[in-house]
Amino acid sequence: MTVAASPVRRGHPFSVDRALAVLSLKRKLAYKTTWIFSIAGGAWPLLAGLVVWQSIIGDGQVGGYDWAAMRAYLIIGFLTATIAWGGSDWDMAVRILDGLVAIDLTKPVDFQRARASEYVGSMASVVPTAVLGTVAAWFWFDPQPPVSATAAVLTAVSILFIFPLAFEISYLSVLLCFWTRRYHGIQWAKDGFLTFFSGMMVPLALMPGWLQAVSWSLPFAHFTATPSSIYLGRVGTAGALGLIALELAWVVAMWVIARLIWRRAVKKVTIHGG
Amino acid sequence: MTAIAHAGGVYRRSIVAQLRAIVEYPADFWIMAASGAFWQILQFAFLSVLFSQVPVLAGWAFPEMLMLAGFLGLAAGANALLSDGAWSTGSMVIKGDMDYRITRPAPVLIQVASAHIGMQGVGEFALGTAMLVYGWIAAGVSPAFIPAAVLFVACAAAINLGLVTAACGANFWIKGTGSYIAFLLVDLQGKTMSMPLKIFPFGVKAFVTFVVPLAFVNFVPVEVLTGRASTWWIVGPPLAAVFSIGLAALVYRAGLRAYDSAGH
Repeated sequence: MTVAASPVRRGHPFSVDRALAVLSLKRKLAYKTTWIFSIAGGAWPLLAGLVVWQSIIGDGQVGGYDWAAMRAYLIIGFLTATIAWGGSDWDMAVRILDGLVAIDLTKPVDFQRARASEYVGSMASVVPTAVLGTVAAWFWFDPQPPVSATAAVLTAVSILFIFPLAFEISYLSVLLCFWTRRYHGIQWAKDGFLTFFSGMMVPLALMPGWLQAVSWSLPFAHFTATPSSIYLGRVGTAGALGLIALELAWVVAMWVIARLIWRRAVKKVTIHGG
Repeated sequence: MTAIAHAGGVYRRSIVAQLRAIVEYPADFWIMAASGAFWQILQFAFLSVLFSQVPVLAGWAFPEMLMLAGFLGLAAGANALLSDGAWSTGSMVIKGDMDYRITRPAPVLIQVASAHIGMQGVGEFALGTAMLVYGWIAAGVSPAFIPAAVLFVACAAAINLGLVTAACGANFWIKGTGSYIAFLLVDLQGKTMSMPLKIFPFGVKAFVTFVVPLAFVNFVPVEVLTGRASTWWIVGPPLAAVFSIGLAALVYRAGLRAYDSAGH
């Protein structure tokens, strides 16, 4: 059965967003052992990365990073990756794949805002991991400090933008399920793009010029390359503000694009037996 | 012998049924296969970027590193194609779906492993082969080693399949839909075994060689093929394969004993 497009509802009160975020957080914390293991496991990629890059850099420099700068880069990468992977995009995808979205259309709730609230709520579950791991790594590995107090503040601001950016990239990917009716492959592709073009896999500064240009023209770069560039002073204060403005522009643009896609996608809703 | 033939028959019929389902969704097949290939291309790009900055890493050059990545891709691809259903263990335990499988006259592990096919394995297998062959030719490895390489690939597939299935079996005790132990294992493998093992501390080397034998998936085979290790090491991968498959069977057997269905 194909249902008619529902008008987009945007006016639900903020208390609904808060309730959805809290519910999502509680759902994520329900399986405590799993949660603890996911926290413990998050440290391994950082430790492995430190060993690998130490043997690559040694006493020299690679792409303008010496060992102290690379330690800072990797710790920032750990923090941003932990936050970026913390959301539950499968929960969103399943609503479309199982047809629950048809029930959502009958609710007086803005679908996109509701999913954003749930996503941010699930991301909040990894904040303790991210913060505790970062602080521990900080004291343990003694990385290069921020280039200035302003840079430290702007780095923190740029990291906060990961919350809406991660949601929007996941949400846009999930909307493709209206056409593909599967999410696994899309998720793999999305994760691949994010890992490579963010600089999580290898710093963008090491890539050839054309690949750097491609990376910086995509929203993924703001997950790791932007915060680390601001922190390490690879861009000045004006450059940092410019990058943060770019993050804001991506947040607004992807939110609007998602609205436009939703209007078309919702016409494709297929309910079991339809 | 009859029991093994029966289990093999059940596995074959289940996999064929999955393949028929996949044929009904060709777009999904292509997306998954492309995604698997895409991750291998990223691995190639990572190594290319890395070796544009440094000529060698701990004595290993680009071609040998490609061989490491190739074996990893082949093992991951084989695992996805042959035993991807193991990743559903956590969800089956939580939802009580194991009840359904316990009552059937076929080994539960066979039923679970063949419950799904990860078509990303097609891309991983294809690009893994390409990287291995490219690295092999560029490193100048003798064609006389081809039979040994075939044995190594078969063992790599069995080791990965056994270890990942055993890790997924941890979900009998650690409740959750996500197989975090298995994710951790795959992450450990991806981060550690795509690099020459000698750059890691002794504890890591000992762990991935003698505790969780990931080193026998790619590192030991490449060491043997490039003449870094004695040919006596050729017995290592088959032994590790037997150990890994046995471990998966033991973990699953213990897990099924601990399983108390859903709703308790």
